[in-house]
Amino acid sequence: MMNSKKAAVLAALALGGAVLLAGCGGGEKQQASKEKVFTYGTTAYSASNENAGTNPHNSYVGWTTIRYGIGETLFRFKDNLELEPWLAKDYQQIDDNTVKINLKDNITFSNGKKVTGEAVKACLEALIKNHDRAPGDLKIESITAEGQSVTIKSKEKTPALLNYLSDPYGCIIDVEAGEKDRIVVGTGPYVAVSVTDNEIVLKKNDKYWGAVKPKLDKIVVKGILDGDTLTMALQNGEIDAAQGLPYASHELFNDTAKFTKSQANTSRVFEIDFNFKTPELQDVKVRKAISMAIDKEGFTKVLLKGNGAPAVGPYPDSMTFGGKAVTASAYDLEGAKALLKEAGYQDTDGDGYVDKNGKNLELRYLSYPSRQELPLLAESAQASLKKIGVKLNVNVTDNYKSFRKNGEYDMFANAFVTAPTGDPEYYLSTHYLTGASYNYGFYSNPTMDALGRELHNAFGAEARAKLAIRMEQLALDDCAYIYASHLRMSLIMKKGIKGLTAHPSDYYEITSELDKE
Amino acid sequence: MKKYIVKRLLHLIPILLGITLLSFGLMRLTNDDAVDVFYDKNGAVSEEVKAARRAELGLDKPFLVQYGSWLGGIVTGDMGKSYISGRPVLESIMTKLPATVELMLVSILMTLVFALPLGIISAVMKGSAVDRVIRFLSFVGNSMPNFFVALLLIYFLAVKLHLLPVMGSSADWRSVLMPAMTLAVSMGAKYTRQIRAVVLEELGKDYVAGARSRGVSEAVILVKSVLKSSLVTLVTLLALSVGSLLGGAAIVETIFMWDGVGKLAVEAILSRDYPLIQTYVVWMAFIFVMVNLLADILYHFLDPRVRLGRGDG
Repeated sequence: MMNSKKAAVLAALALGGAVLLAGCGGGEKQQASKEKVFTYGTTAYSASNENAGTNPHNSYVGWTTIRYGIGETLFRFKDNLELEPWLAKDYQQIDDNTVKINLKDNITFSNGKKVTGEAVKACLEALIKNHDRAPGDLKIESITAEGQSVTIKSKEKTPALLNYLSDPYGCIIDVEAGEKDRIVVGTGPYVAVSVTDNEIVLKKNDKYWGAVKPKLDKIVVKGILDGDTLTMALQNGEIDAAQGLPYASHELFNDTAKFTKSQANTSRVFEIDFNFKTPELQDVKVRKAISMAIDKEGFTKVLLKGNGAPAVGPYPDSMTFGGKAVTASAYDLEGAKALLKEAGYQDTDGDGYVDKNGKNLELRYLSYPSRQELPLLAESAQASLKKIGVKLNVNVTDNYKSFRKNGEYDMFANAFVTAPTGDPEYYLSTHYLTGASYNYGFYSNPTMDALGRELHNAFGAEARAKLAIRMEQLALDDCAYIYASHLRMSLIMKKGIKGLTAHPSDYYEITSELDKE
Repeated sequence: MKKYIVKRLLHLIPILLGITLLSFGLMRLTNDDAVDVFYDKNGAVSEEVKAARRAELGLDKPFLVQYGSWLGGIVTGDMGKSYISGRPVLESIMTKLPATVELMLVSILMTLVFALPLGIISAVMKGSAVDRVIRFLSFVGNSMPNFFVALLLIYFLAVKLHLLPVMGSSADWRSVLMPAMTLAVSMGAKYTRQIRAVVLEELGKDYVAGARSRGVSEAVILVKSVLKSSLVTLVTLLALSVGSLLGGAAIVETIFMWDGVGKLAVEAILSRDYPLIQTYVVWMAFIFVMVNLLADILYHFLDPRVRLGRGDG
C-alpha cells in the first residue's frame, strides 16, 4: 500500500515538473522577420522619473521626446554644449527683448504637415500655457509668426532664451494633431506607436526631413529600474544596448569582441557644500584644508571605477567656461595639515584628530544614497579627512531633507546637473547668490551677487562665459564648494550597434544615425 | 450567513477609515512632499513654481482638509488622479491588475504542485532520509529572500542556460515562469512545512488509528480523511497568500519588470504620489477583508463544525 501511495505522490511531482519543463523547454519563439528591431534598456524611463509619455509640455516628458528621437528642438547642443541650429536655420537678435528665429524650409512633422512659423508659434504658446517651468524660464510676452519665421518678444531681458528653447520641453510638436494615447506628433526620425509607463515602441518616420534617414524599422525602449535586471538582460541578449548600468557591472562588458561602450562627461557634478553657519567652517583656512584633502583622482579611478572625471569647478572640461578655465586647490595632504595648523588646529591629545580649545574638529556630513556615487564619495571623504585629523560623521540617508531643513549638517554632498541648457546662469544663480534656492551652505559674497546681476543682463556666449568663469573662480577661492567629479555617462551596447553615442547633454540617444548590423 | 457577511462588510468601514487616516498621516510626517520629490529629482525650479504646483494639488491646505477632500472623493467613487501621470488612479491600478493576477495564479499553482506532494511525502515518511532532505530544502527555501532567489534564477535560467527571458512581456508567455518560480520557492517552502505538520497531526488522531484497525487502506485514509481534514489549513495559507499576492510582489515585479500592482505601488511611494498610495492602501484592505471572508465561508463548507459568526465580536 505504501508503495502505491508513494508512486502516486511521485507521479504528482512528475506532473509538476512537467508543467515547469514545458515552460522552460519551449525555446525562444523567433518570428522570421526581416524587420530591423532595436531594443533599448534604460533606467531613465519610468513613471517615477516623471517622463513616461511623449508630450514635451508635461513635466519632464520632453526628455523622452528628445532622447528617443520623437521630437527635435529649434536649436541643439554640440558636444561642447554650445548651440547650433536644428529645426531653425538661423536667428537675429532684434533688440534685448526680441529675437527672430528663421526655420528651415524642408521640415515636416511625422504626419507630413510642414513645420511653419505658425506651427512653431502654436507649439510654443501651448508650451507656456501648459508647462510648469517653461513660462518662468522663457518669460515670453508675445510670439508672432510670418512664413518660415517666428519672432519672440520677452517680458524682460532673457539672454539665455535660445538655450532654454533647446531644453527638451522645447521640442516642436504639431499641437493641432493633439495627443492621443500619450502620443504626440513630432519631427524626429522615429514615431511613437505605443506608450506605457514602462515601455515605448517606436517605428521609423518615413517622412523624416533630415539628410540621414532612420534605418531601423522598430525600436522598443524599455524602462528597467533594477540595475541587476538591466545587466542580465544585456548579458542574455534581450536588449541591444543599455543606459544606466551599475558601475559594478561595467566590467562584465569589457569583451570588445562582444560589446562596445560610448562615454561622455556630463555636467552632472558631485559637489560638497560647506555650511557657512558652522563656526569652524567660517575660517577659510579650514575650508581650504578640507578641499585639499579630498582625493578626486582616487575617488573617480578607484571608487567610481573610471566612470567619472575629476572636477575643478561646476562645469565639465568640454565647456568653454568649464574644466581648466578655473583653478582649485590641488590634492595635498601635507599642505592641508599645515593650513589647519595655521588655523589653530593640532592634535594635542594624540587621539588622531586635530583639536582647538580642547574640542576636536568634528563635522557632520550629510548626503543621500539614491545616486550610487554619493555614498562612495562619503566614504572617500571620511577616509581622506581622517588623514589630516578631521573627523567626519557621515549621514547618508533618504531622509536627508529633514536634516537639511533642520540645519543638521556641516557639509552637504549632492549631485546636480549644472548646465542643462548649456548656459552657466542656471547653476550659478541658484547656488552662488545670497539666499539662492540651492545655496544650502548659506554662502554670501557681495562681489558674487554683483557678478550674478551682471551675468543676468549680459548677452553673447563669450561675455557670459567670461562672467561665469569669474564667478566660479570666486566661489573656488572662497572655498564655498568642493567639486569632486563629473558623471561620465555610459551607453553599453552589443557589437554591431552603430550610431548610438553618449552625449554630454544627456539629451540625444536615439537618432537617425542609429543602426544595427 | 447573510447577516454574517453583511456584518463583516460593515467592519470594512472602520478598518478603511483607520488605515487610510494612518497612511495619510504617515506620508505627511516626512519633511518632503510630492512637489519636492517631483522637482528635486530633476533640477532646480523656483519656489513660485513649487508653490503653484502645491496649490494645484491642494497640498497647501491643512492635513485634515486634504484628508476630508480625499475621503469625499472616495465616497463618490472618485479616487483622484495620479500626481505624476495625471491619470485616474483607479484606472492605473486596474490596468496593472491582470498581470498581478496572472502572476498570483501561476505562482500558487506552482506552489501547490510542489508543496502538496512534498508535504505529504515528508509526513508519511517522517524521520527518513527523504523527510530530512525535504525539511532541509524547505528550510533553505524559507530562508532565502525573494530578490536573491530571483537573481539566482535569472543567472542560471536566463544568462547561463538561455531558457527563459529576464524581463516580463505580454508577448512571451514564458516570461511569467521565473517571477512565479521565485514566489513559489518561499511559498512552497512554507506550505510544505505546514502541510507536513497538519498531515502528521491528523495521522496521529484516534480516527486514523480506528480506521487502520478496521483494515482501511493507508491510501484511503490519507486521501479521504487526512487530506480532507488538512484542507482547512491549506485554505488559511491560500487566503494569506492570495491577499498578499494581489497587493503585488513589489520586489519580484520590479526585478522581472513585471508590470503589476506591486511595482506601481513602489513607484508611487518613491514619488510620494499620495492619491495612488491611498488607493493602493484601500485596495489592500479590501482584498484582505474579502479574501479572509471567503476563507471563513469556505471553512464552513469544508468543516461543518466551524460555525460562522460564533464568538465574532
